[in-house]
Parts: sequence; structure tokens; C-alpha cells
Amino acid sequence: MPREADPSNNEREFVLSALRENVRLDGRAFDQFRDVDLAFGEEYGAADVRIGKTRVMVKISAEVVTPYADRKFDGIFTISTELSPIASPAFEVGRQDQTEILLSRLLEKTIRRSGALDTESLCIIAGQKCFHIRADVHVLDYDGNIADASCLALVAALMHFRRPDVEVHGEDVTVFGLREREPIKLQMQHQPFCITTSYFDGGEVMLHDASLLEEQCREGEVIISINRFGEVCQISKYGGPPIDGLSILTCTNMALEKAKMLDKVVKAKLEEDEKKRDKGGLMAELRADNEREQG
Amino acid sequence: MPLDSSTYALAHLRVDGRRWKELRRIHGQMSTQAAADGSSYFEMGNTKIICTVLGPRQPTKSGGRDQSREAIIEVEIGVAGFSGMDRKKRSRNDKRTQEMQYTISSAFASTVFTSQYPHSTITIVLHVLSQDGALLAACINAATLALIDAGVPMQDYIAACTTGSTASYASNDEDADPLLDLNGMEELELPFLTMGTSGGEDKVNVLVMETRIQMPRLEAMVSVGLDGCKQVRNILDGIVREHGKKLLSSR
Repeated sequence: MPREADPSNNEREFVLSALRENVRLDGRAFDQFRDVDLAFGEEYGAADVRIGKTRVMVKISAEVVTPYADRKFDGIFTISTELSPIASPAFEVGRQDQTEILLSRLLEKTIRRSGALDTESLCIIAGQKCFHIRADVHVLDYDGNIADASCLALVAALMHFRRPDVEVHGEDVTVFGLREREPIKLQMQHQPFCITTSYFDGGEVMLHDASLLEEQCREGEVIISINRFGEVCQISKYGGPPIDGLSILTCTNMALEKAKMLDKVVKAKLEEDEKKRDKGGLMAELRADNEREQG
Repeated sequence: MPLDSSTYALAHLRVDGRRWKELRRIHGQMSTQAAADGSSYFEMGNTKIICTVLGPRQPTKSGGRDQSREAIIEVEIGVAGFSGMDRKKRSRNDKRTQEMQYTISSAFASTVFTSQYPHSTITIVLHVLSQDGALLAACINAATLALIDAGVPMQDYIAACTTGSTASYASNDEDADPLLDLNGMEELELPFLTMGTSGGEDKVNVLVMETRIQMPRLEAMVSVGLDGCKQVRNILDGIVREHGKKLLSSR
């Protein structure tokens, strides 16, 4: 089993003693993120996020399927995560390791359980046809903080994605191709973001967006998912050395600020992308959900 | 079936007749299985757990592990098919179970003096006999008792409990009460978090929340949780002391 090599004792000491003097190795402030870069692909629903050297790509796809028998009015939304050797030699193909399970659980709790995507809007005919939205999360480069990066990419991709338009006549369903009709945005209820806080020295030092080296040296982490309205969707502090109850509350406050920051990044990039696609300003007329007359 | 919590505002009594700050009945026993190095039986209301601890012992799986400088804590959770309301088989590789296993193992990895046992493993096996909320909390408490019974040196107990909040996240009502130790029905309906603390002070080892809640609500929940964990810790301490007395008198 190849494992990520642990940093040597000297390296670890160096990182820790620098942190005790309020210095991070890359010169950032403790709560500062590395450069967050978000790019969308040619197709709808492809997002590529880079935070420093960490890179995550998410692709959303939709197909028409039969809904689950016990959830007739809901569409299906699945998230699949993949950590392949492309990201780091520590990851193996086909073997689910701890990191992957935790990551997929985290995304599941953050996006699915918090009801970020309105699955009822994916229903076409109750009990017979619905959309199955599938999100594939691929970690391409691993330099720490994949939780935040994957969550950001997933939310951005969901907001960017358009599903094909459908028309229902009784029992007949027509699904229009992307060329026939302008596809429709997914209904998002809120946009949660994961913010990981790494702590050292029993909570004395708190870092945001830790790099891989910092992650290997940290004592533990608190992962908080929060949206810009200040609703906490998930908190996970899986063991690790104990910290004050109060510092967890401080973490949530800081996470809210960061979530607002990420939210702005996504909004700005989406707008930019929309402008690029809106050749000749025809988009407003093509949209199926354009303003209807209020009656 | 959704829980009818509308009457709470009238009498401030919960579905099972408790007030907001009351724990359910906690019952624990130690040394229940003779074959294991340490074992315990733990009840938190209707959630019932048997825990056995094997080790510290030589790692059973060979290969590459021998160089470890500290003991590895393995956790296995078996959820009995008859434990819930409907008979459902939960596989061992279920992601939720695996997440719980990871949580418990990393919580104890920082509390047990693992450096005392290089090249060895401590296996915690948890059997869930009956579930009625606070599953993770009950597992942590049962594991604490079993580890103490096994004589594994630890810094402190990890005592865990859950806290919730009366109103769901949607309604913005100001006078929402925090609730201590939710039962299974309340857990389905209300936002809640599981918390595990060690030491007399407010040191949080484990904090897991899976439901959506407004941030201001969190503070009350955490402080009620800290208080609840302290109560649980005292109860655990009582169980351990009683067991110790029994052992001494039987000599």
C-alpha cells in the first residue's frame, strides 16, 4: 500500500515553530485562502476549481430514469467521488480508502442532506419519470484542503448546469435536445460551502485552507458547512485532540465570512461565463423560464 | 410519521414526558463478557449497546504495520437487523457506519496513551442491539467503559450525548429551547448534534452535526451539550466506581 510519506521530524518542527511565531510557510495570514480560481467548461455543468495547487473537477450530467418507488415525487441526485492516482500516488484505483469515504460523506451531508438541490423539481411524471442528476467529483491534484475545493466545485457546477427542457402531454414526455430548446437551470435552495479549520497546539493556532504539509502536521480539523445566510448545514470534528467548545463557535463565525467570500467568487464567475455565452444578447428571449405574465 | 412537536410550547414537556434538560435513563455494566479483555453493556434510554475490547495485542493483519510507534485503534460496528423500527440489513461497508467507526477510533486515538503500546492494535467491537437515537453517543460511552474494563491507560473518559433544538430550521422563532438527549423520534424531526467531551472542563473531542440549523441556535445547543456531557461523565464514573467496589469485595 503506497502511502503519502510523512514529513520528517525536522520539517514538522519547522512548520510548527513557524506557526508559533505566527508565520505560515507560504507567507499567508492564518485565515487567508490560497488563490481560488474557478473556471467553467464549454459544456454546461463542468467546473474546475483550483485552490493553490489543489485542483478538483466536477461534471454534472442528467438522464431520465424511473424514480424510486418510495419517493415518487422526487428526482434522484447522486454524488460520486473519485480519488485516483492522478491526484497523488497515495490514492489507489478501485480501493475506497478512508479519505474518499469521508469526503463523499461530507459532500453528501453538505449538499444532499441539507436540501441544497430541490429534488422535487426534477420530477417529470410522478412515479414514472424523473431526472437523475449525477455529479462526478474528480480530484486532479492534491495539495491539501480537498474538502473545501470539492464542495466549491460541486456547488459551482450545480449552479452552472442546465438540464434539458421537457414537455408533458398526458403520459407522453418530450425531452428537448440542447439545440432545440434552451436548457433550464437547476433549482438550488441555498449554496452551502465547506470550510475546514485546522488546529494546532490544542486550538491555539487555527488555520484556514491548510496545504498538504500543514495538514500532515496538524493535530486535528473541524469541517463546517455553512451558507451565506448563516445556516450551518453540517459540522464534523471527528475525534482528534480536544478543543474548547467556544473555539468551535469562533470557527463557525469565521467560516461564515469565508463562505460569503466563496459565494461571491462563484457568483462573479457565473456572471462572467453567462456574459460570454450570451452572444448577441439573445439569451433572455431563449430562456424557457423567462418572465411570464403574472395572472 | 412526523413527530407532533406542536404541544411542546404549551406544557414544555417532550413526547416522552421529559423536560428540556433531562437525560434518559442511563444504565451501564462492565465486564459482561468473560472472553474479551474488556467489555461493557450500555443503555441510553432504549438505545442498547454491547461493547467488547480486544487487546492491546499483536496486529492480526500482517504486513507493513509493524513499524508503528503507537497502537492502532480499530473499531467495528455491527448493527443488528432487529435493532431499528423496521428490519433493515445494514452492511458492514455502509458509509455511515464507516464514518462512525472512523470517528470513534480517532476520538480514542487521542485519549488513549497509544504510545505505550507500539506495534499493537486495540480492537473495539460494538454491537448495536437496539436503536432509539443517540447512536454515536451511546457507542462512545460504551467504548469508554469497555476500555476502562480492559485496563487500557487513558487520559480521561470520553462522555458523549446529543442535543437538539425544538423548532426546525425553517421557523425563525426566537424562543426555541435547546433539548438534551433526543430520542429516536425527536432525532428524525429536529436538528441535533452529537458531542463528546473529556475532562471536567469544556473540552470537546467529538462534535458531529448532520442537520441544518441557524448559527445563533448553535451556541445554546453547544452549552447544553457540554452540561449534558458532564452529567453523563458523572454517571459513567459512578458505574466504574461501583464495578471497582464489587471487584474488590469479591476478592
